[in-house]
Amino acid sequence: MNFMFQSFLYCCLLVTVGHCLELEVNPESKKRLSIWLGRRLRRDLDSVSVEKTAQLEHFVRPDDIRDTLLPHSSTDIKVRTKRSKNSANQPKRQGCALGTCTVHDLAHRLHQLNNKFKIGSAPIDKISPQGYGRRRRSLPPHRVTLKLEQGRLRPVWSIADSQVHKLEALLRRT
Amino acid sequence: MAKRKMESIGRSGMMALILLCNLTKIFVKASMEVNETQQQHPTNVYHDMGLTRNKIVTAQFECYQKIMKEDMITREEPMCNRTWDGWLCWDDTRAGLTSEQHCPDYFQDFDPSEMVTKICTDSGHWFLHPESNRTWTNYTRCNEHTNEGRVTAMNLFYLALIGHGLSLTSLLISLAIFFHFKSLSCQRITLHKNLFFSFVLNSVITIIWLTAVANNQELVQRNPTSCKVSQFIHLYLFGCNYFWMLCEGIYLHTLIVVAVFAEKQHLMWYYLLGWGFPLIPASIHAIARSYYYNDNCWISSKTSLLYIIHGPICAALLVNLFFLLNIVRVLITKLKVTHQAESSLYMKAVRATLILVPLLGIQYVLLPYKPEGRISSEIYDYIMHILMHYQGLLVATIFCFFNGEVQAVLRRHWNQYNIQFGSSIGNHSDALRSASYTASSITEVQGCYSIDGHSEHMNGKSCFDTDTSMLKSDSPFA
Repeated sequence: MNFMFQSFLYCCLLVTVGHCLELEVNPESKKRLSIWLGRRLRRDLDSVSVEKTAQLEHFVRPDDIRDTLLPHSSTDIKVRTKRSKNSANQPKRQGCALGTCTVHDLAHRLHQLNNKFKIGSAPIDKISPQGYGRRRRSLPPHRVTLKLEQGRLRPVWSIADSQVHKLEALLRRT
Repeated sequence: MAKRKMESIGRSGMMALILLCNLTKIFVKASMEVNETQQQHPTNVYHDMGLTRNKIVTAQFECYQKIMKEDMITREEPMCNRTWDGWLCWDDTRAGLTSEQHCPDYFQDFDPSEMVTKICTDSGHWFLHPESNRTWTNYTRCNEHTNEGRVTAMNLFYLALIGHGLSLTSLLISLAIFFHFKSLSCQRITLHKNLFFSFVLNSVITIIWLTAVANNQELVQRNPTSCKVSQFIHLYLFGCNYFWMLCEGIYLHTLIVVAVFAEKQHLMWYYLLGWGFPLIPASIHAIARSYYYNDNCWISSKTSLLYIIHGPICAALLVNLFFLLNIVRVLITKLKVTHQAESSLYMKAVRATLILVPLLGIQYVLLPYKPEGRISSEIYDYIMHILMHYQGLLVATIFCFFNGEVQAVLRRHWNQYNIQFGSSIGNHSDALRSASYTASSITEVQGCYSIDGHSEHMNGKSCFDTDTSMLKSDSPFA
């Protein structure tokens, strides 16, 4: 009886420790693993597609312009990088998810809720069927060349006083 | 500042107008209506709100950079092309799949934990909305539950304030009792005092942090050093609180399980662990934060750097869980020696566990991880906040107000007071007072020093005495 009770207690302890370790270690190691895998795959891809990139280097070739013109044809390279769905803007679950972190979460949420420096509510027309999600309108050639020039200058925008440029870009693209 | 802002706004407005004129000139043939509706919204919506617009432009810039930098990957099957949809960047997606991303945080009513979806149809084209026949991303879920979220956050906020207020009151009263009645002082009470004091400090700084910083946009926007310092202090005191729980755990464990022959324990180490050690993770966090994630007032909780603080706390709580289990094990073994009835034995064990759980902070280990779903995470939030903000109240209630020794001391002093001022005859009161003094010295010996003093024969039955006396003195029910 005593032995059973003890072993039960130790099992409980083990499970909790195991669970917690898993929680703490997993996101990190997973990320590292995926980065490593990504690098390997990228390297493979790079070695195969060297000529292709060399060719393309001469032209600034924004795909958003080209993609309406070219059909999605398959080319000769068979390697494909694995992409996670959410890699674009935010990685999946950021931040601390432990129970003790809830107090920081609350502070953060209050801060977000009362942020007067953000727009209060999203424009409804952008969410509606008429709204966002469209691909870029195709533009006449001279507009495109202007855009390419700016595409190269863009790093400068983010540093210098660039309200005008930014607004211009926004107006044209959104 | 304001003038400059006005100027820039004016300039961008002018530019927008000029641009509009140009566009209309250039696209003479293009449909005027479409241009009007599409070009005017950005000026109306974004032009006075710098933060949102900057965020969108930055995201767009990054997206286009990404699109231009990476080559088109090969396709052996139809795919939807990567694209910028106006708010978010979308990768190449295989036909027939639905791409998902978290909502952007551009607007106050967008919930970043919700998902945006974009469907790639079987033919390898992005989904066209049937109503408008235009490519469309589903952002509708982003602000679907915003109002509920807002209500929840405000509820939690008030819950936290009330909880900390109640905790502060009860803890301060308890501390006053502990400090006023010197007859109570012993090592265990000294540890309690420190724990209560860390609870008090934690409550004060948490209230300050939630009301004065998290709710004060101007302060966060100005981002003074003082608010970072207060976040540092907040995290330090937060750590202190949990490490004092660890100290309580170590003390009880040493007392009951390990050091049956021990003299009085050296409290120096407890002070070092409780007040000194949390400085280390707090400092590391501050340094790491200033190098890698230096947001305004360090208020964001969306960074893994917080694990620097919460990792050690989690470890401390795990150690406490181990101590609790071990203490309960010893308690049951000792109780069994006395051949008590099984049911009362387990009742006692359960009662001891329930009493020790809030003291040692075990509740955080039992519910360690926030679930993913919206409703479940909301329920979890409520439970966690109640447990967290009312823990001080609970601990003060159990370990001071329902403590047998404290009750005895209070009753004695109340009686003395009554006798002193209630009775008119002097002789009587003197005799009674001396009687009560002898009684008090006896209770003192039994109450407090039965744990600390009589350690020389704690090996056998007296250990069980310690446990039960602790149980009795601490239990609200015994």
